[in-house]
Amino acid sequence: MIRSLSRTFIIFKMYRGRLILSQVLLLVSASSTIGVATLTQRLINDGIIAQNLEVIIDIGLWMAVLALVGGLSMAATAALAVFFAQGVAFGLRKYAYDNIQTFSFANFDVLRTGNLLVRLSADVNYVMLAILYMVMLVLYAPFMVLVALALTAIFAPSMLWLLILASVVVLGFMALLLPSLVKAYYERQDKLSDLNNTMQENLAGMRVVKAFVQEEREVEKFHDRAEAMRKPAYRAAVRVALMDPMLIMITQFFIALTLWVGGRQVIENMGLELGQVVMVMQYLAMVIMPLSMLAIAVPFILRGDTSAARIFEIIDARPFVQDKPDARTLNPEEMKGRVVFENVSFAFRRPDGKLDPPALKNINLTIEPGERVGFLGATGAGKSALVNLIPRFYDVTEGRITIDGVDVRDIPQENLRQMVGIALQEALLFRGTVHFNLKFGNPEVHDDVMIGAAQAADAFDFIMALPQQWDAHVARRGYNFSGGQRQRLAIARTLTAQPRVLILDDSTSALDVATESRVQEAIPRFTDNVTTLYVAQRISAVIDLDKIVLLQNGEIIAQGTHEELMESNQLYREIYESQLGAGLKPSSREAAS
Amino acid sequence: MTAATATKTKPETAAQKAERKEDFIPIFKRLLDYMTRDEGAGKFYLGMAVRFVAVAALIAIPFMTGNAVDAIAGGDMAALQAWLMAALAATAIFIALSAWAETIFSKLATTALYRLQMHLFGHLQTLSLSFFDRQPVGELMSRVSNDSEAISIFYESAVSQLIRAGMQLLLLLVVMFFLNWQMTLAALLIVPVMLGLSAIIERVATPAFAKMQEEMGELSGFQEETLAGHKVIIANRRNDWAAAANEAYAKRVFDVGSHAFFSSLLQTPVTMASATMMIILVLTVGGLLVANGQLSVGEVIAFMGYAGLLASPLSIIANLTSTVLNAIAGGRRVFAIIDEQPAVKDAPDAKDYEFKGGHILFEDVDFSYTPGRKILRHNTFEAKPGQKIGICGPTGAGKSTIINILTRYYDVDSGRIVIDGQPLEKLTQRSLREQVGVVLQEAYLFSDTVMNNLKYARKGATDEECIAAAKQANAHEFIMNLPQGYDTMLTERGANLSQGQRQMITIARAMVAQPKILILDEATSNVDTRTEKLINEGLARLMEGRTSFVIAHRLSTIQDSDRILVLNAGEIIEQGTHDELMARRGFYYDLYMSQFKGKGP
Repeated sequence: MIRSLSRTFIIFKMYRGRLILSQVLLLVSASSTIGVATLTQRLINDGIIAQNLEVIIDIGLWMAVLALVGGLSMAATAALAVFFAQGVAFGLRKYAYDNIQTFSFANFDVLRTGNLLVRLSADVNYVMLAILYMVMLVLYAPFMVLVALALTAIFAPSMLWLLILASVVVLGFMALLLPSLVKAYYERQDKLSDLNNTMQENLAGMRVVKAFVQEEREVEKFHDRAEAMRKPAYRAAVRVALMDPMLIMITQFFIALTLWVGGRQVIENMGLELGQVVMVMQYLAMVIMPLSMLAIAVPFILRGDTSAARIFEIIDARPFVQDKPDARTLNPEEMKGRVVFENVSFAFRRPDGKLDPPALKNINLTIEPGERVGFLGATGAGKSALVNLIPRFYDVTEGRITIDGVDVRDIPQENLRQMVGIALQEALLFRGTVHFNLKFGNPEVHDDVMIGAAQAADAFDFIMALPQQWDAHVARRGYNFSGGQRQRLAIARTLTAQPRVLILDDSTSALDVATESRVQEAIPRFTDNVTTLYVAQRISAVIDLDKIVLLQNGEIIAQGTHEELMESNQLYREIYESQLGAGLKPSSREAAS
Repeated sequence: MTAATATKTKPETAAQKAERKEDFIPIFKRLLDYMTRDEGAGKFYLGMAVRFVAVAALIAIPFMTGNAVDAIAGGDMAALQAWLMAALAATAIFIALSAWAETIFSKLATTALYRLQMHLFGHLQTLSLSFFDRQPVGELMSRVSNDSEAISIFYESAVSQLIRAGMQLLLLLVVMFFLNWQMTLAALLIVPVMLGLSAIIERVATPAFAKMQEEMGELSGFQEETLAGHKVIIANRRNDWAAAANEAYAKRVFDVGSHAFFSSLLQTPVTMASATMMIILVLTVGGLLVANGQLSVGEVIAFMGYAGLLASPLSIIANLTSTVLNAIAGGRRVFAIIDEQPAVKDAPDAKDYEFKGGHILFEDVDFSYTPGRKILRHNTFEAKPGQKIGICGPTGAGKSTIINILTRYYDVDSGRIVIDGQPLEKLTQRSLREQVGVVLQEAYLFSDTVMNNLKYARKGATDEECIAAAKQANAHEFIMNLPQGYDTMLTERGANLSQGQRQMITIARAMVAQPKILILDEATSNVDTRTEKLINEGLARLMEGRTSFVIAHRLSTIQDSDRILVLNAGEIIEQGTHDELMARRGFYYDLYMSQFKGKGP
C-alpha cells in the first residue's frame, strides 16, 4: 500500500536506535495515559468513596508523576519524529537534486523543470508530513486501543462489546466523512489555483487590460472564479468544523450507553462495581481520540506515498548522455578547434520518451580552426539543435561529430565542455556577485582574464559604473540587470572560461547593432584563433563572418560568404531585403552609398 | 505612506513593532467587518446565539451523567434512566445546534473571503502602472495569495473556534463556580502554568515557522534558479557547486524546520499533562470535600467532566494565536493595497476625449519614473493627423516611455501633451485609451480561446468583425489551422503559439478595437523572415490612415515614416524623414550604417 513511501524507511535502518527509542517512548507515554486513567478510577474507589485521604494523596502524587513522565516522553517522541520527518525531507531534497545534476538536456525535456520543482517542494513536504504522522501515530493508536480493550476484557468483560462498538462507529464515521472532506478540500484547492491563475494573468497583463480599458471584464472574470471557489470552500470548511462536534457526540453517546448498561449491572448486582463503570467511561475516550487521529493521518500517509513515488522517479532517472568507460581526456591547450559534422541527424525526445521527427537531417559541415561561422534560418530550422550537439548537450541520432578528429562521444563530458564554451540566448545569471558569475565556468582563472573577457563582451564599462563593481550584487536569475547587460555578462562568462570552440547561441539578440558589432570585433582580439559559431536571427549579426550557413527544416541549404549567398541564394536575399532593405527608397540608397 | 508598508520585506524596526501592536484591533475589526457586513451581521449574531445554546447543552451533559453515576451509586434505576435520557437529549441538542452554527459560520467565512478577494482584485484594477512597477508581478502575486490564504484560515476556522472556545470557557467557569468554588479554584490553579507554557511555545514556534518559511523560500528560490539555468550549469560544468549549495540550503531547512516543528508539537504534551494535573487537583480537593461530607461522589465525577471540558478550549485558544497573528499580518498587507490610491487620476473636471483627426503635440515634456532620474527631457514634437512617426535610438533612450505617457499610464513631470487641441491631463483615461490602440512588444494573450482574445479589445465586437480583423492581420490562415480554429484554447501567455503567431493575434486584437490613434512597439527581432513579412503587412494595414507611432528596433520598419524621432538619453537629438536624417550624416546615419558592417548597399 505504501511501497514508495517505504523506500524512505532506509533512514529508519540508519538510525535504528532512534527509531526504537521513539517507539518505546511513545508506548511509555501511551502507558502513562492509560495508567492515569486506571489510577483515576482507583482514586475514586479506594480514596473518595472509601474516604481515605492517605490513598487520595498517594495516588494523586503517582498520577502527577505519570502525567509528567507521559508528557516528557511524548515530547521526546515528537523530537525524534521531527528528526525522522525532516531527515527524510533533507535526504529527498539532496538525493533528488544531486541526481538532477547528472541529467542531460533531454532529461529536462522529459521531466519539465516546473514539474521537477513541484516535486522538490510540495511533494517533499507531503512525504515529510506522512513520516511525521507515521512515527507518532501508527503504533500509538492501535496500542491504546488494544490496551484499553485488554484492560476492559480483564476488569469488566461484560462491557467489552461497548468499546469494540465505539471503535467501529468512530472508524465508520471517519471513513464516511473523510473522503468527502478530502474531495471538497482538493476541489477548493483546484478552484483556488484557478483563481490565483486569473489574478496572476491579470497582473502580468495589466498593460493590456488598461490599454483596452477592460477592467470591468476582468472583475467579472475574477468574480466567476471567486464564486466557483465558494461552494467547495464551504463544503470543506463545514466538514472540518463538524468533525469535532461529531466526535464529541459519539463520545457522549457511548458514555451514556456505558452508564446505562453498566449501571443496570451494578444496580442489579450482576458482579460489576461503579468504579469499573467509570473506568470504562475513561477507556472510551482513550479509544475514540487516537482512532480519530489515526483516521485523519491516513489520507496524509497515502498522499505521502504518491508524492514519494513522484520523487523517486527523479532519483531513479538516468542521464541520456553518458561518458563511455574508455573515454579519453584531451589536453585543451593542444586543441586546434576543428569541428566536423559527418552525416549528422538528430531528433528531440518527447516527454513520453519517444523521438520527435528529426530536427536535423544529414548535416555535413567542416569548420576550420579559428574560423568564424554564422548560422541563419527560421525559428525551428535547427540552428540551436545543431550547435547543442557539439558540447554533447544532446547526442546525435545518426552520424558523428568530431573535434580535431576525435568523436565527441569518446571525450568525457567534463573535458569536452572545458574546450567548447557556449553562451545561450536566455542569459541567466545566478545570485551572487558579478565576480562569481563571470568566473562561473572557471573559478580558478586569474582576474586579468575575467577583466579582458568583460572588455571583449562590452560589459567592462557598465560593471565599472556599478558602485561595487566586480563585487556588485546579482539578484536571482540576474533580474537586477537589463536584458542587454545580462547577455553581455553571459558572453563575458563564457569567454572567461577560455574555450577553444566558442558558440554564441543567439546570445546578442537584446543588444543593439552597434554594441553587437563591438563585441564581435573584440572577441578575436581576446582569444586568439578561437573557432567561433554565431547563431542569429538578425542578418547584421552574421553579415561579415567568414562563412554563413543557411538552414531550413533541419537541412543546410546553402553556405558561403555574404557576397556569395547574395549571389546564389534566393532565401538569403529575401532575408536581407526584409531586414535591411525593406522600404528602402532609391534616394536613401544613394545617400547611404 | 501606506505603500511603504506594502513593499516592506526588511526586518521591522522597534517603531514598526509598536505600530503593529497598535493596529491589531483595527485590522481585526476590519477583517471581521467582511464577515458581518450587510445581511452578515444578523447571521453572525444568530450563529452566536445558536452556538451559545449548543455550548450550554454540552456543558449540561457532565451534570446529567454525574447525576446518573449518583443514581447508580444509590441503586435508583428510574433516576438513572431519566438522567441518561436527559444526557442523550442534551447531546442531541448539542449536535443539532452545533451543526447549524457551523453551517452559518462556514457560510459567513466563505462569503467574507469572497468579499475580500473581490474588493482587493477590484481595487487592483484601479491602480496605476506605477504601483505595479514597484514590485515584480510574481512577488506581488505570491504575497497576495499567501496573505489571502492566511486570512481564509482565520475566517474558516479561527473565528468560529474562538467563539466556541470563548463561550465554553465562560459558561464552564460560571457553572463550575456555581457548583463548587473550592474545586473550581483547584482546577484553575493549573491554568496559569498551562497558558504560560503555551505562550512560551508560541513565542518560540511562531518565529521558528517564519524562519522556516524564509529558509524554504531560499531553498526553492535557489532550486528554481538553478533548474531554470540548468543549461548554464551543464555548459560550465558546475554541477558539483550546485549540488553542494543545494545541500547547504537543505541543511538549513532541516535545522530550522526541526526546531519549528518540534516546538509546535510540544503543545500537545503540555495540554495533555495540564489536563491530567487539573483532574488530579479536582479529585484531591474533591476527595477532601467528600470526606468532609460536603460533596457527593457523583458531583466530583461531574466536576471531573467539567475540568476535562475546560482543557480543550484553553488549548484551542493557545493554538489559534498564531493563526490570528498570521491573519492580522496578512490583513495589514492586503489593506495597505486596498488603501493605496491610484497615482494617475482623472481630473475632477475631466472630459471625454473627442477625436478630431489625431493631431498630437508634445511641448517640452519632462518625465521620470523615480524622482530625480529624468527619462525624458524637453521632448517637443508634433504629429499631424494620419502621419506615421518613427521613434528610434539605443536601448534605454526612453523610446517606450513615450507610449507610457501618451496613454497616460503615467503623468508627465512638466510640459504638456495636447491631443486634438485637448490637454491630455483633462481627459478621462477611459475615453483616451478607447481611442488610442497599443500593440506591445511583449505579445500578451490570455488563457482563453483565440476568439475571446480578439473580442477582448472591444465589448460587443462580433465574431465576423474579429475574423475580418484576423484576415487583415494575416492571422486567419494559421488560426484556421489550429486544432479548433478560433475556439482553440491558448495556454497561459499563449505559449502554444510561436512568437510571430502571438504577435499577429495581438495585431488583429488591436484592429478589433478600431482605435483612432496607434502606438506600436515593434517586436519582430525573434521572428523569422516569412512571418516578419506577414506581420509587417498586417501592421501596415492597421496603420493606414491613422496617426501612428512606431518604436523601431530595426530601422527598416520606420524608413518610410513621415517623421523619425531619434532619441538618445531621453532627448530628441534629431528629427526628420529618413532621407533628411541620412543626408545629415549624424547619429541616425551612424545607427543606420552600423547594421551593414561595411557590407551595405
